[in-house]
Amino acid sequence: MFCKDDVKRKNMLFVPPFGDGMGIGMEMKTVMEKLEILSDAAKYDVACTSSGVDRKGNGKDMGNCIKGGICHSFAADGRCISLLKILLSNECIFDCKYCLNRKSNDVPRATFTPREVCELTMNFYKRNYIEGLFLSSGIIENPTYTMELIFQVVFLLRTFYHFQGYIHVKGIPGADPDIIQKTGFYVDRMSVNLELPTADGLKLLAPNKHRKNILAPMRQIQNGIIQGKQEIVQYKNAPSFVPSGQSTQMIIGATPESDYQIMSVAQGLYDKFNLKRVFYSAYVSINADKDLPALHTGTPLLREHRLYQADWLLRFYQFKAEELLTEKRPNFNVLLDPKCDWALQHLEQFPVEINRADYHTLLRVPGIGVKSAQRICGARRTGNLRFEDLKKIGVVLKRALYFITCNGKMMYHTKMEEDYITRNLLALPEKLPFQKDTMTYKQLTLFDDKVETAELFGGQKEILQRVV
Amino acid sequence: MEEYTLLCEDSIDGILTGIYEAYQIKKEEGVESHDRIHLYAGEMVQQRLCMHDIHIKTDLEKSHKVIRTLVEKLSEENYYDLCLAMVSDGQDKADAVYHTVVRALQTKDRNMFAGLQNDYILKAFTYQRNANNELMHLRGFLRFHELEQGILYAKTGPKNQILPFLMAHFADRLPSENFMIYDEKHQVFGVHQKQKEWYLVQSDSFQEEELVFSKDEQCYAELFCHFCESIAIRERTNENLQRNMLPLRFRGYMTEFQSKY
Ligand code: SF4
Repeated sequence: MFCKDDVKRKNMLFVPPFGDGMGIGMEMKTVMEKLEILSDAAKYDVACTSSGVDRKGNGKDMGNCIKGGICHSFAADGRCISLLKILLSNECIFDCKYCLNRKSNDVPRATFTPREVCELTMNFYKRNYIEGLFLSSGIIENPTYTMELIFQVVFLLRTFYHFQGYIHVKGIPGADPDIIQKTGFYVDRMSVNLELPTADGLKLLAPNKHRKNILAPMRQIQNGIIQGKQEIVQYKNAPSFVPSGQSTQMIIGATPESDYQIMSVAQGLYDKFNLKRVFYSAYVSINADKDLPALHTGTPLLREHRLYQADWLLRFYQFKAEELLTEKRPNFNVLLDPKCDWALQHLEQFPVEINRADYHTLLRVPGIGVKSAQRICGARRTGNLRFEDLKKIGVVLKRALYFITCNGKMMYHTKMEEDYITRNLLALPEKLPFQKDTMTYKQLTLFDDKVETAELFGGQKEILQRVV
Repeated sequence: MEEYTLLCEDSIDGILTGIYEAYQIKKEEGVESHDRIHLYAGEMVQQRLCMHDIHIKTDLEKSHKVIRTLVEKLSEENYYDLCLAMVSDGQDKADAVYHTVVRALQTKDRNMFAGLQNDYILKAFTYQRNANNELMHLRGFLRFHELEQGILYAKTGPKNQILPFLMAHFADRLPSENFMIYDEKHQVFGVHQKQKEWYLVQSDSFQEEELVFSKDEQCYAELFCHFCESIAIRERTNENLQRNMLPLRFRGYMTEFQSKY
């Protein structure tokens, strides 16, 4: 660990704030300008949930954390606003082709002082605008220096302002492991952006970045978390290291990887790096470059949606990437959600009997979500379930009916034929979370309710609600 | 066969007293099944004008006995869920909760809402979920404004009477702030003083115009409004999704949707 002197010794900008807010401490106009520039520059970052850690208030200082996270508002793009999501600075010495802040772009630049970030966070938090702070930054001078600036902010926020709410910061690839380590003790979540699904993509579009520099801090955070867990068992008061875990994100559609490659990478991150979440960000074409999709190319929202659906299947439905896709079938069906698509190709495993099938089998039935599967298991203990009961429980029968029996009978006389069922499923409208624009297709959704969809689009229910 | 109808006050203690009395009547009158007894609260009461109805007076001692039984025989969590159902705006919530309790105590199932095939349980579950959803929303959507002396003030108008749950949430989060939340729909104030226990006050003569805001209030409200605008990705504009996630009825109370900023 380290102490306050550490910070002073390094001669960083540790200036204790005095005064009571705007009037004395901050110049309203400059802060407004900075906030506009630096929130605008941070908006493409998707990882904005405030979930994963439960921390009760300490009876004295401001703030607590709620495991499921809290959405405080929703922006015009329908994404949840949970954290004050800003860059510390949009100055950058790097020149990533997909990024608005890259060195070669002529955009207005700004840098917050640590104090400004703290005052904004505290004042937004107490008005219940936000759950906490999400802080990232362009690279100022070099990665280590940038990480130190980020550290200063969280150090000040935790030890001087005594803020107990949620803090998520970016780990800057290439920064000195020491400073990443120190920062980890003050934040709830740290994430390192994978940026692009493969090393080739990265080389093409982010010439200053290297895959190994991204994976190294990711591994370091993972090890820190594991070690932290052991320490907490040993000493109750040991400070916890990144208690809500780490996440990452990758840009989809800027480089030519297949869905299969992307899902395999995601699976690897969950399995080998213990990531809490992988986020997918449909590429918004903002820069003109021969290596990028043409300007004003549509944002691949449907593809992003299918990837999130599949990601959901990996995390909560015990699917494996190679069950969903293969080298020969490397991309998701745009017309069908990945779970329906899977079921149609495995008709030999259906229909399943609702009153007997185990939980894992139920989870694989289209139209049955995590919650309805749990409710089925609870309810059938008190008596056999009929189709009417399933409806009450929240099963989407019009989708499930091809795949289930209740007390040995199917709901209607149904042929177990792929073409027949596919046609029927395609006739059902799929509730997509965005406009279809020019595309004409009809689809299905695997999501039974809003809560799950909310989570996908920046919502908060990371931990599934306690379910009956 | 005789049917019994009990009428109680629309509050957690009122309904719990009603449940206590229902068990008494069953025992004393030798009623063969709880299905013959019904319990109604609040608005349902006013719609009924039946001679045989039994009016129950709220009795804290009786309600506390019921609470103890529920917590011991079921669980703290089940009791919490029942409270949410009891503050919901479900018309027949008292009856649903009463019969759910009867079944839960009979089956001793820790998972109180498991038997969703049963209509009472399904209703109690639905009411609980409605109230809880609104609580989840308001934990995020409630907006405080800073008044002159640093007091934080919020106004809301929830369908369900969830103010006590909100107070508990914010008291844990803002222990050193003086704050109050006004539920204008049910005309109740929740008041929290720095480092003290919170409490509720009934009030129907509150003049919001008399509040004076702090000098920073306007600045932070504007900053937040700008933030909400600049954080949206124009290429992904999706007002339908925004409306699904943040229904219009909440927006009248939210800083970022006021045109004055
Ligand atoms: S490092 Fe790359 S992605 Fe990050 S701000 Fe700089 S140019 Fe943008």
